[in-house]
Amino acid sequence: MAELLAELARRLVDDPDAVHVEEIERDGAHVLQLHVAKDDVGKVIGRQGRIARALRTIVRAGAARSSYRVLVEIVD
Amino acid sequence: MNEQLQIEATGETVGEAKWSALRELEKLQPGLDKAAVKFQVVSEGERGLLGVGFAPARVIATVEADGDANGATEAVDESELAANVRELLGRIVREIGVHARLTIEEDDETLTAAFSGRDLGLLIGKHGQTIDAIQYLANAIVYRGQMEDRKAIVVDAAGYRERRKASLDALAVRSAERAVSTGQRVELEPMTAVERKVVHLRLKDYPGVVTASEGTEPNRFVVIAPGG
Repeated sequence: MAELLAELARRLVDDPDAVHVEEIERDGAHVLQLHVAKDDVGKVIGRQGRIARALRTIVRAGAARSSYRVLVEIVD
Repeated sequence: MNEQLQIEATGETVGEAKWSALRELEKLQPGLDKAAVKFQVVSEGERGLLGVGFAPARVIATVEADGDANGATEAVDESELAANVRELLGRIVREIGVHARLTIEEDDETLTAAFSGRDLGLLIGKHGQTIDAIQYLANAIVYRGQMEDRKAIVVDAAGYRERRKASLDALAVRSAERAVSTGQRVELEPMTAVERKVVHLRLKDYPGVVTASEGTEPNRFVVIAPGG
């Protein structure tokens, strides 16, 4: 899932080299932290947060077969 | 990459075991060419007497795996746009872990990418939220930084869009009838812009009601009020 998230993000930003995803565990949840260049934060959030929401929905669908809870956070 | 798909299935008779194997294979590979499936009978089965000594018939079914099962290739005679969409959607669907065939149709205004196969529920999601997310991202990625000449990309799965439109049409009429009979406004659940448009269009010429959208995304909803 981390790989798909990173790949989708790379296709949305101006600076794909700055994109990476960190996976951490927190409070029993599997957290994917999406890092992008400062100027690209808006591009992965989108108007009214719609891009971020779509990314989260797709990641969650991908994790649906596993038991853990997945969260996506955006970090610059 | 000609992998083989192999399935072992059982049934009361060899015929039933074969039938059940075909069904399983079709789930894995929608649009399966049944003639290409090879069967090996492992056990003819025992009918038994009064349930004693019963043993199921057992067959192994084998078929060449279809390399296009996730829609990544099949790029014959497709426009560049269609090829981009196919590549992106193939990537997403593979990761979600759904086996589906992708058919792309294009006219002057719209490109429709439709997944077919079984068990596409995961791809559609609750109230279509997953298929809507995929569609939204596909438009954002394929047309990144491009403001004009954008042909709308519609992503569909198992006829979901048509079913959803039919149920929205029915909901619109039902709600309009209620607004007229009670004389009170009816608020619908939050919907996407495309879905709200279906409701507005359905009721555009419906006598005795006016429609409007209220609230902010993603909780914007249609209101049907008596009047007009």
